[in-house]
Amino acid sequence: MYILAIESSCDETSCSIVKNGCVDVSTVILSQIDIHTNFGGVVPEIASRHHLKNITMVIEECLKKANFTMDNIDAIAITYGPGLIGSLLVGVEAAKTLAFIYNKPLIPVHHIAGHIYANNLCKKMEYPLIALVVSGGHTELVYMKDEYEFEKLGETLDDAVGESYDKVARVIGVGYPGGPVIDKMAKIGIHEYNLPIPLNDDSYNFSFSGLKSAVINLAHNYDQKGIKLNKENLAKSFQDVVVETITKKTIKALKDKNVNRLIIAGGVAANSGIRENLKKECENNKIECSYPELKYCTDNASMIGAAAYYAYKKGITADSSLNARSSVKLS
Amino acid sequence: MITLYLDTTSSFLYTAIIENDSVIAEIKEELGNNLSEYTLPRIEEMFSVKGIQPDDIGKIIVVNGPGSFTGIRIGLTIAKTFAWAKNIPIIPISSLEAMAISIDGDYDYAVPAIDARRGCLYTSIYDVKNNSFIMDEKYVSNDTLNAVLDSMIGKIGFVTNDVLDVKYDVQPYDPKIEKIVSLVKDRDSVNPHSIDANYLKMTEAEEKKMSEKEND
Repeated sequence: MYILAIESSCDETSCSIVKNGCVDVSTVILSQIDIHTNFGGVVPEIASRHHLKNITMVIEECLKKANFTMDNIDAIAITYGPGLIGSLLVGVEAAKTLAFIYNKPLIPVHHIAGHIYANNLCKKMEYPLIALVVSGGHTELVYMKDEYEFEKLGETLDDAVGESYDKVARVIGVGYPGGPVIDKMAKIGIHEYNLPIPLNDDSYNFSFSGLKSAVINLAHNYDQKGIKLNKENLAKSFQDVVVETITKKTIKALKDKNVNRLIIAGGVAANSGIRENLKKECENNKIECSYPELKYCTDNASMIGAAAYYAYKKGITADSSLNARSSVKLS
Repeated sequence: MITLYLDTTSSFLYTAIIENDSVIAEIKEELGNNLSEYTLPRIEEMFSVKGIQPDDIGKIIVVNGPGSFTGIRIGLTIAKTFAWAKNIPIIPISSLEAMAISIDGDYDYAVPAIDARRGCLYTSIYDVKNNSFIMDEKYVSNDTLNAVLDSMIGKIGFVTNDVLDVKYDVQPYDPKIEKIVSLVKDRDSVNPHSIDANYLKMTEAEEKKMSEKEND
């Protein structure tokens, strides 16, 4: 089964053709990152405008790359939420129109389900498992008892982890997006500054806004006293706390649910600090830990095509009244 | 030749099927914030009632703004995807032109106007006898528009779906789709990939950036 998938929930216009939920036949991603960097973050209205400009070109390029026509496609998949509403709508309207004119099934996919199923493009997922979804917009722990069954165990109560990286990066003046820069700086820094461990409780929830404020306050204090802050050391101190809280809650979820498989998903899965530490802790606890190739970590349509295959097997389809949803539950 | 007309640039859906210069099916419906949920289903219904298949459509005329940013994108994405997929000509038309063409009564000038908030309008001035704009489409303040209109000689009528405080005749917009299509159908079509919205206004983030640059 070949699924043509479209993803436009944030600032990437992407189209993929995915075979049987596990083979990425062709993927095109048009990133707007250079545009939004000028504004220090994604501007929703600008993102929507670019999606509209690019949508048909991206779809055409994807078909060409695979040497396919729409006749080779069995179904259309689309990210319907969560995400930026204006951005989502462009993808949703395009997908619905294709499903209508070619009379193909339309499969709605939750963006987080897509991030989780990105793993299936690298290695066939086995169940039960715990998925840690970490990105610019999400920080969630999801328990999957079986194929395409999601139970959210916990999530961030305020900022997403990627968001906190961006904000900290802005404070210490190293630009946008903050994740990769801070990760790199942390590698050469030492843990010099004391920062609070956020939401250090028994829940599976996260909180990063307090940590971000602590970093901002620290920077201001040093600034007022005229003391120079060591940026690399601050990056390391910040990243250590993020890694510790994420690792602790993730391992707890695995133990509580008696599950020995962890998958990491989302853009922040590319963060080497988080990745390495979880890998180490999983080894210590005899837990199988996997994460997608870097190119499948960030937003892309192939992950949507992968998830859609399993959604379709479960009978999940939509008609042309499908609407985009800026916020919608996974399960 | 069967043409599909589509306008979702306001809170209304205006769509029609035109066969040999006659409207054979049309929908004019206020959908408010539900354009995404209902636009395509309504088009499907219209097709099915008339026994028309997507393959039968030979041309698309789409209204590409100004108006609601989100609304503009809903109709334009549908039209653009349709035209690209079926490799058929697509012709964009401004919402202000569609409004001006639809004016009723004996006026020299039609002033289509869309409330753009903060005392501003998307507007233009249309010479009814000659079917052409005498002032380009603009995003302007009410005061600026009034100053221009005050200097004009001739009978002026506004077409708008918004509540505006003006001293001229005002009529609600009821699109005369047959007339609109007959006036624009022979215009040059646009490559579906390059068809874009006619927002008439930069985003706030861009405006802020521009004014920062100017102040530098």
